[in-house]
Amino acid sequence: MPSASFKDELLAETRNLRAFAISLSGSVTLADDLVQESLLRAWSNSEKFQPGTSLRAWLFTILRNIYYSNYRKRSREVQDSDGFYARRLTVPGDQESHLDLEDFRKALTMLPPEQREVLTLIGASGLSYEEAAVICEVGIGTIKSRLSRARAKLVELLKLDETSAMAVERRARRAG
Amino acid sequence: MNPTDKTETEAQDVAAPDPKAAEAIGRALAAHYADLVQAPLPDKFMELLTRLEDGVRVSERKRRRDALG
Repeated sequence: MPSASFKDELLAETRNLRAFAISLSGSVTLADDLVQESLLRAWSNSEKFQPGTSLRAWLFTILRNIYYSNYRKRSREVQDSDGFYARRLTVPGDQESHLDLEDFRKALTMLPPEQREVLTLIGASGLSYEEAAVICEVGIGTIKSRLSRARAKLVELLKLDETSAMAVERRARRAG
Repeated sequence: MNPTDKTETEAQDVAAPDPKAAEAIGRALAAHYADLVQAPLPDKFMELLTRLEDGVRVSERKRRRDALG
């Protein structure tokens, strides 16, 4: 039987769960349905959660399973996160590596979901390679390969290779 | 949904992006995600969990009552 503290623990993870759901599905509406369903499933399966392990990883696994079995098709039809983001901002960085967040988000939606989720799990949600491998039901090698291909694709989409080449050129000119 | 094709596991030799580009991506990803995490949470999640918890309380009371009676 779930305890009151289990409720608090779930609540504490809900923001992160929702951020993962939005990143995965590209839709706030779908993400909210996914979170709702995941919380319900987590509650009714609370005895399956092993205390001491990562609740975040467990919840992400539940949400991801629901997404791939029921929602993936729908997410291609609904992409409604455009108006959602609170801020339109430039990611801080030095002159050569300024990135517009809006551009970055667009590029992110162009990645295959398998790459996007790995990037989100490891690069943003603070999960380990091992946890990501369990969540995605693949080996660590596959996780690493998806991660590097996701990064390479983003570099290409955002033309970061050009930017840095230009930066090198500029630096060379300044130095020369 | 479990694509474990061989080509995928073997494709680890993708060139690593230059450190500057990798850093820019890392920062953008963190900013993107932080923005999502900070977004206001709809009340319905809290309401759902409260309902579930209340459901537990009701069934526990019922069990105690049944045990006594």
